[in-house]
Formats: sequence, C-alpha cells, structure tokens
Amino acid sequence: MNWSLFFDLTVSGLTLGSLYALIALGYSMVYGILKLLNFAHGDVYMIGAFIGWFALHALGGPVNPDFAGAAVLVVMFLTAMIGCGILGVAIERFAYRPLRNAPRIAPLISALGVSIFLQNSALLVFGAQFRDYQTFSLIGVKTYSIGNLFFSVPQLLTIVSATCLMIALTVFVARSRLGKAMRSTAYDREAASMMGIDVDRVISVTFFIGSALAGAAGVMFGLVFGQIYHFMGFLAGLKGFTAAVIGGIGSIPGAMIGGLVVGLAESYATGYLPQGSTFQNLYVFALLILVILIRPSGLLGTAVVQKA
Amino acid sequence: MADTPLLELDQVDKSFGGLRVIADLDLVVNEHEIVSVIGPNGAGKTTLFNLITGLYHPDSGEIRLDGRNLVGLQPHVITGLGIARTFQTLRLFLNMTVKENVMAAQYGHTKVGVLRSMVKTPAARREEKEIHRRAEEKLSFFGDRLMGYRWDQFAYSLSYANRRRLEIARAMATEPRLLLLDEPAAGMNPNETHEITGLIGKLREQGRYTILVIEHDMHVVEGISDRVVALDHGVKIAEGSFEAVATDERVIEAYLGLRAAETK
Amino acid sequence: MSPDDGIPGSAEAAGAPRIGVDEWVASVEGKSERYTGVRGVALREWDRLPAPARVFLCVGLAALFPLVTSDGNVFRYGLFTLVYGLLAIGLNVVVGFAGLLDLGYIAFFGFGAYTYGILASPQYNNHWQAAAAIPVVIVATGMLGFLVGLPSRRLVGDYLAIATLFFGQAFYVFVNNANRIKFPFFGHTNLTGGSNGIAGIEPFNFFGYKVQGTRGLYYLLLISIAIVLIFLFAVHDSRTGRAWRALREDPLAAEAMSIPVNRLKLLAFVFGAAVAGFTGAIYATIATAALPGDYNVGLLITIYAIMILGGFGSMMGIFVGAIIVSSVPELLRSSANARPLFYGVILIALIVKLRPWRRFVLEIGALVAFGFAVHAIAAGVYPRLVHGHSIGNDFFARGLDHWLLFPERTKNMVDVAYIILVAAIVILPQLGRIWRAVLLPPLLYLLIFVWENLLLVQINGATRLILLGALLVALMIARPQGLFGKAYVEIV
Repeated sequence: MNWSLFFDLTVSGLTLGSLYALIALGYSMVYGILKLLNFAHGDVYMIGAFIGWFALHALGGPVNPDFAGAAVLVVMFLTAMIGCGILGVAIERFAYRPLRNAPRIAPLISALGVSIFLQNSALLVFGAQFRDYQTFSLIGVKTYSIGNLFFSVPQLLTIVSATCLMIALTVFVARSRLGKAMRSTAYDREAASMMGIDVDRVISVTFFIGSALAGAAGVMFGLVFGQIYHFMGFLAGLKGFTAAVIGGIGSIPGAMIGGLVVGLAESYATGYLPQGSTFQNLYVFALLILVILIRPSGLLGTAVVQKA
Repeated sequence: MADTPLLELDQVDKSFGGLRVIADLDLVVNEHEIVSVIGPNGAGKTTLFNLITGLYHPDSGEIRLDGRNLVGLQPHVITGLGIARTFQTLRLFLNMTVKENVMAAQYGHTKVGVLRSMVKTPAARREEKEIHRRAEEKLSFFGDRLMGYRWDQFAYSLSYANRRRLEIARAMATEPRLLLLDEPAAGMNPNETHEITGLIGKLREQGRYTILVIEHDMHVVEGISDRVVALDHGVKIAEGSFEAVATDERVIEAYLGLRAAETK
Repeated sequence: MSPDDGIPGSAEAAGAPRIGVDEWVASVEGKSERYTGVRGVALREWDRLPAPARVFLCVGLAALFPLVTSDGNVFRYGLFTLVYGLLAIGLNVVVGFAGLLDLGYIAFFGFGAYTYGILASPQYNNHWQAAAAIPVVIVATGMLGFLVGLPSRRLVGDYLAIATLFFGQAFYVFVNNANRIKFPFFGHTNLTGGSNGIAGIEPFNFFGYKVQGTRGLYYLLLISIAIVLIFLFAVHDSRTGRAWRALREDPLAAEAMSIPVNRLKLLAFVFGAAVAGFTGAIYATIATAALPGDYNVGLLITIYAIMILGGFGSMMGIFVGAIIVSSVPELLRSSANARPLFYGVILIALIVKLRPWRRFVLEIGALVAFGFAVHAIAAGVYPRLVHGHSIGNDFFARGLDHWLLFPERTKNMVDVAYIILVAAIVILPQLGRIWRAVLLPPLLYLLIFVWENLLLVQINGATRLILLGALLVALMIARPQGLFGKAYVEIV
C-alpha cells in the first residue's frame, strides 16, 4: 500500500470534510427548526466565496495587500460571514416566512426559486469566468507536517478555523439563552412560542448563524482551491445536505461527523476507486443511498415515532 | 360463541424508550360483539389501536385475527384481512370529495391495475361501477347526512360531525369484519352524540360488524357496550359489564371518580 | 371539551335535524356558483365537459397554430412549448397526483433521449423502427424509474427531493464521462459519446414513413400529448388515481385504508419516468442529437415552473403554463418584444396593486418627475452617467435616453444597482405604509434602470433564469396553488 498517497488523501479529505460540515450545519439547523430543506443554502455559500474575493480585492488584492496577510484574512472571513448571515435572514424573511402555513411543497419550490435566482444573479453580476483567490501570493506556500500528514497553510487554516467555529457553535447552542431557545423551538415550535420564546427571532438567528457558517466555508473553499465561480454552490450544497442526512438531520454533532465522512469518502474515492477522479460524486451519491437504506435516521439521528 | 374469538391479544407489550405504554395486555373480542375501551388520557388506548392495525409493532406478544397472527404485517395487509379503523384526530383525504374518500378505501378488495384503467377495458368499467355502487351504499348508511349533493363536496367542507361519519363510512368501505372506532363521539353535541350511539348499534345489527370502540362519553359507553375494558397506564384494571366496570373501585380511583357518581 | 357543554343544536329549535351544517359549511357551499356573467358560465360549462372533449378542444386549437404562422415560429414557439408541456404532464403525475417531490425528473428525460439515440443513430449503427424503439425506450425508462424509486420510497418528502436531485446530477456526470468507462468482461465501450453526445439521431420511422420536418414533429407531439392526457384523465379517476391522491393527502391514513403506499409511490415514479422517457425520445428526434448539457437543472426549474404555474394536479392548466414559461423567454430574445412585455407586466401589476386610481396616478407621476430630476442633476454634475444609449432606435428608446441614466462603460455601477435593487425589493414590504408609498417611485426608477442597463443587455444569458426564479418565489407567496389549481386545504 502506498502510504504517502493515503496520507495525502486523508488531509484533503479532512479539509473537504470541514467545508461540508460547515455547510451541513446550516442545513441541519434550519431543517431542525423549520423542517424545511433550504435549497438556496449552497448558493449562499457561493455568495460567501465571492464576498471574500471582493473583500480581498478591496484591501489591495492578494499580491500587494494593504495590510498583513493575517489581517486581510480576518477581514475576508468577517465580511463574508456577516454578509451571508444577512443574506440568509433576508431570504427567510422574504421567501419562507410568508409560507409558514402553506402546503409543505410550497416553501420547497420557493427555495428552489431562490436558489436559481441567486445562481443566475451571480452569473449576471460576476460573469461566467472563474475568479482566483491567488492564495499562494497571499499566505505563501509553506507546509506543516504532523507525523506523516502534510498540510498546506490554507488546509491547516480551514481545518483549524472550521473546528473552532464548530466548537463555538456547540457551546453557543448548549449554553446561551438563544441557543436554548433554538433547541426548544426545534423540539416543538408551538409549545416554545407559548412559553414566551420569540420564535420568529429564533428562526432569524438560526438562518443568520447557518448562513454565516456557509459564508466562512465559501471563503475557505476559495483559499484552498483558488478558483470560485457562480455554479459552485450547487454541488457543494448537495454534498452538504448529504452530510447532514448521513450524520442525522437536525443533529449538530451529526452534521460535523457527516461532513467528515462525506469529505473523507470523496477523497478516498478519488484516489482508490475506479475512475475516481471523474466519478467521485457518483460514489458520494451511492454512499448517501446506502446510509438511507441501512439507517434512514442517520448516524446520530433518532428514529421518528409516527403519530397516529 | 365461536371457539376462536375474532380478535385476540395475547400478552402484548409495547414501550417507547423506557416508558411502558401497553403492559402484558390480554384482550378478547368475540364475533358480533361491541367492546368499549375506557381509561384516562395516556392510558394507552390509541396505542392499542395502533398496535392492532400494524402502525406500531408490539415488543412482545401476539395479536391474532381469527387465529392468524398479525404481528409484523404491514398496515394495509392487516386492513385487507378485515380490520378497519377511524382516527381520533380525523384523517380524511381533505382535498378529495366525500364519495372519493369512500371509493379510495376500496383499493384493497378491487383488482383492476393501472394499465387496464388507462384504456378503460370492459372489466375496468364494470369494477368502477361496482366501486361507485358500494360507495353509495356505505354513504346511505347515515341517512341523508352524506347523501345527494354532498357526494361531490370536498371533505374539507364537511362539518365536524359529518367528518366523523365520513371516517366511519370510509372504514366500512374496506369491507372489514372488525371496526375500530377511536372516540366516535368526541366533539359532538348531545343530539349528535345520541345519534352516534344509535348508529353504532345499527352498525352491528345491519352491518354485521364486530366493534371495538374507544370512548370517553359514559352515556355512549353505557348505551352500546356488551362489555367494557378499562385501561390505566397500559394495564387492564377491570373488565365486564358497564355496571360492573363503572362500580369497580380501581376504575373509579384511576379515572371515573366524580364522573361515576354523576352517571348514576 | 366535555360532552355535556356541547353547542346546543338547532334541532330543538327547528324540529327538523340540521345537525352538521354550520355557518362555515354553508359559506363554502355555493362558492363555485358565485362567479357570475360570462366568466361564470364559461367556467361551469368547462367543468361540465367530459375530459376527452376538453383535451380535443385544446389540442384542436393548438393544431391550428401551424396553419397561421411560419415554420420558424412553429419551431421556436410550438415545438418547445409542447415538449415542455408533455414533460410537465408527466411530472404532474409524480408531484401533483402522488405528492412526491422528484427533482431527478430531467434525468429520465435524458435517459429516454440517449436510449433512443443508441437505438437509432449511425453512431451505434442501429436503425430501429419507431414502433419497436418507442416501447423499448418507455419500458427502459420506466425500469430506471423503478430502480431510482426503490430506495426513495423509504424517504419522506424532503429526503426524496435531495436523493433525486443528486440522482439527476449523477446522471449528468455519468453520460458526460461514460465514454471512458472500462467495463469488466466487456472492456472499453463508448456508451454515451461523452461530452460530444450522440449525433445524427434519426427521425421516428413508422414502417417507412418518417416523421420529420417542423410540422410533422409538431403534430406528432400534439397527438402524443392528446393520447397521454386522455390516458391520464382515465387514471386520475380510477382506483389507482384515487389511491395516489389519497397518499398525497395523508400517507398514514391511506395505508390504514388498505392502500399499499410504498408500491403506489413506486408506481407513480415509474409512470412519470415513462412519460419523461417517451418525451426524451421525441426530443432526440427534434434535436437530432443527445447532449449531456441539455439535461440540466435549468430545464428542471423550467418544467417545475410550468407545472406550478398551471396549478398542481390541474392537467389543462399545464397547457397555459407551458405557453407562458416557454414562449415568453423566446419572445424576450429580441428587445423589441422584451420591452413591451416587461413594461406591460409592471403596469398591470401596479394597476392591480395600487388602488384607488388616485394612488396609481400619483405614483406614476412621481416616477416620471423623479426620472427627469435625476437625469437633469446627473447631466449637470457627472455627465458620464448619461452618455450611454438605450438599446434600439424607436420612439420609446429615444425617449428613455432623456429620462433614464445610461452610464458609459461603468458595469460596476450597474452591478451595484442590481444588488441594491434586490435588497430594496426584499426590504420594502417590511416598511410602513407611508414609507412604501414614498419609496416606490425611486424603486421603480431603479428597476427600470437595471432592466435597461443590465437585464435587457443580458437578455439571452442569465436574465431568463433570474426571471424564472423570481417568478417561482413570487408565485408561491401570492398563489401557491398556481393559476388554475384548486386551493389546497392542509392541516399543519
């Protein structure tokens, strides 16, 4: 067995997995509270990548930034996260809230509409060409190693910051008042509103956090893979949702584990399975179907009891 | 009475994560009998129905219809074998017409497949006619409540009482031997309650159904039951005639209390 | 509620039983009779017609279309409208009847096209008769639908949506790369032509009679639609159709009423897939090629938009939906058509929304004045903002030049305006009434500015899908049941 290939695949799988986990969190949180599949989530992630790019160029560009690289990075992440958060809240307000008591299919169609709208707006405004983050000019080509695992700086950055964000989220949901309100709203929206929880506000916060995480993932994608384009949200969204389903939809640790599973699976499939680099998406799809067949509630999800 | 009872529950047990909802329950319903199940909220009455109709599977024990074990069968198979139910919460097909609701429930004992109905073969036309006829027959059971112009009304436009009636008609359309009625009089006014009491008797006499009914209204229970079974926390605490159960101390303690005195 | 404090029935009062008829029921009764005049008569008569008569009426009207216009118009407007319409009719079985959100539907369409392409093209050296090829395509696509439905039947609503969406994507990846697969035992086979697709697909050949040419294909499609519609109307009111609708309403109750829900879900899937596969075969003969790029998410959205616009479950509404969704973007391709359409829709929307007339006149007046003011100020302060020109050279376009800003080579500014416009449209409904009234003219001005400077310029690019996406959202908010659908009652 070629161990160095294995370690390389592991590192890129972990990186991808961190991205998917961040995207999956947004899906999972929204689904937990609204039972809504937010198709537009992948496109919010794409918008995040573009906001990061514009922030980078507003600060002088990757080759000659106005400030130190680290400061530029912080600004990129912050603007993308806040921008996407606001975008997410706006989408919820405009496209989902009026439909809260509509038949179940209506918000799904609306979400589909938002998705296609965002995608093509990006095409209209940003154009069809790829945009380059030119990460190497910004933060150099150094690699670090832990044992046999070699990480490039963007990879390390992605894994570490994604982990930090997830820890912060877990603490927020477990400890803070809003986090508790979120959990009780997810458990029973009606009862929560009768207990004096402002459900609308909780939903807005959920969308803000979920979309902000997707925005951060968008910037990370740009840093690791360099090139961003208007259609990148579609597949990433699909895989994010796959991760959420595999982990157990509605469960926050589930989304993280699901993300890692999907990321590693994709990475190993690329390296080891026949025609992997062409068909890696097909293999992820097969994994999704497999999990759904064997354990429909996902790895960490609980089976839902039917109410008669 | 026949040797094998129509429905027989044998040591049935069901828990939801640690909470034991039905505990070692034995229950017998004989052909042509009306049995009422009473008990306070959360006693496991609706769970009992869900177990019999196959929506839940018991953790242990057997449920037999005419000696045949039903455990593990899918709900539509069980319905096909002759058990039909109504829902306490009313689960009509709201955006279908009254008649279509009853027609849809005849799926199990009709045969024509999608290809034959696509080209409307003579057999398909004949069966369709028969479905219409049977639907009208079931609906006529309720006097003129669900007749005539109401056939083509959507189920959502029905009043509460008529929805309860349509639930019963729909259950009848599956051609069951055993009817499970989940609180047929809930939310009805005194007149309607009185009417439904008479109707349940008529169901047995004319429809030749065996009936297991969950009911809270003691007037209804007294009016219809051959036998009453009282549940509390999934355990059978009393069984017998209405008089016997209503005066049973454990029942009064668990549930009836003041209401028992009121009934007397 | 305890049974003793029930509502006193009117039975005592009237003597005759009036139990079960309350005010609300009485108000629902006779609602359909409320429409009066020509519209009411037309609606009632239309409902009274038997299904085949309705189909023949619609198809008969559509059959006249090639007689009154040129081949080019039939091709541009007719063929695609019918292809999309037929696709939407099949999708309606899955989504409208059975209530399953199938987002992999386009893959079945593509599968049908590829299968026919393999059976009848020089590329594979097969030249099958249509009478043999069409059944094979339909059965094969149906079987694929069965396979996809097999895991999906365990999925509740949204999971199904994502699994099928993924399947659609998987299909695209597969056909795009299948030329590179090395199969065990068979070795290398060029299964789909990869990114080049299959070229030179032959027309339907019915025992020597070839269906080709725009008109031939048009009538072929029309006949196919008529047949499929008549079949579906029969199924809708059959045992299976009722069972589908029952499971859409309440799967659990349906299961308890002796309906095998899982089997019926699969059946709906197979049915929809078969219709899509059949349409795919026809489409392959129109395009004379099967290309992976034709079966993308954009098409999926288009078909959904048609089905939703027509109204869930309403098969005839789909005709109208198809005409609107597929013809309008075609009309939009030239700015001479696009302008009247755009301003017409805006005007109608304003007239409907702004009541009384006084408000409408006031807002429009304010808009005109605002425009001239902005133009005058810009011309004085920063003339580059007005140096550009509108598209076209008619009276209207030249008029716009004096009223609207046309910045010169400042794409960034237009992009920013677009983003502000979207934000403003989202924010405006959240504001109070007075603010809404005050901010409406500038918003409209901004809308026209973006339209003239960006959307109209990109009319063949992203604009079409942007408008479709916005249409879906707006339609869901305003009228979730679609134009011709019946409002659904759903207990949440």
